[in-house]
Amino acid sequence: MEHFIETIGRNMFAIFGVMALGGAAVVVASRSAVHSVLAFLFAMLCIAGCFLSLEAEFLGMAQILVYAGGIVVLFLFVVMLVEVSKAKEKEVFQLQSRYAIGAVLLGVAAFAAVFRKVIFGAASPQALVLRTDLAQGLDVAKQNAQAVSRGLFADYLLPFEILSVVLLVALVGAVVLAKTERV
Amino acid sequence: MVNLNAVLLISFAMFSIGIAGVLIRRNALVILMCVELMLNAANLNFIAFARHSGSVSGQAFALLVMGFAAAEVAVGLALVVALYRKRDTVQVDDINLLKG
Repeated sequence: MEHFIETIGRNMFAIFGVMALGGAAVVVASRSAVHSVLAFLFAMLCIAGCFLSLEAEFLGMAQILVYAGGIVVLFLFVVMLVEVSKAKEKEVFQLQSRYAIGAVLLGVAAFAAVFRKVIFGAASPQALVLRTDLAQGLDVAKQNAQAVSRGLFADYLLPFEILSVVLLVALVGAVVLAKTERV
Repeated sequence: MVNLNAVLLISFAMFSIGIAGVLIRRNALVILMCVELMLNAANLNFIAFARHSGSVSGQAFALLVMGFAAAEVAVGLALVVALYRKRDTVQVDDINLLKG
């Protein structure tokens, strides 16, 4: 029994990853949009588990907050707003299945070409490191959120500020797009 | 102990599912969700490479990608709602105004 639990602990990433893939497949394949949204929520939670098992604790929690707390709720609201009346979906899938299969095969080829060395070479995980001037008084391997924030605000402050402007524009744009015509 | 190859394979499979969904499905909402799946596959790669290179940049960029994904989904859903008001449909096949 202990051996079994230990095996599960070691393969946590693979378990979460396969569950996330299952959720993603249901998103694409299910007929009703509500089922798609719920499968999407499941996949996002499993990806958060993947992040946790890759020792990105802060990002795992941010994933749960942003996706499960924000985006999925937004999707559900729009599905309720839009889908209640005559969700007349004549056929679920389009005729472009040929092109889809071709695109996926092309993706496989590109993936194999780019990652040939990585897939067949040995790669071992390394503990996070920060520059010495940033890492003062911090156990980088253990305090993930502090390490990420110091790296983010030291080296990537400009992208972060650009992101805040983009979010503001998206906020205003979404309100303007979705509001009714009459003032 | 997570193998880098396993992460790459899973994120690749997730990206493929997203591409297939965008190309195959007709419902605009499901297409938006598939775009989100692709962004998450990219995030998974960012974090895997951050873990295997010991650099914190990958995690920082994954956080930025998450923010951009939120902005994208807000604008996309607003577009879907506006479209539904105007044309009374969310099926992308019925939206062929530019066809002439």
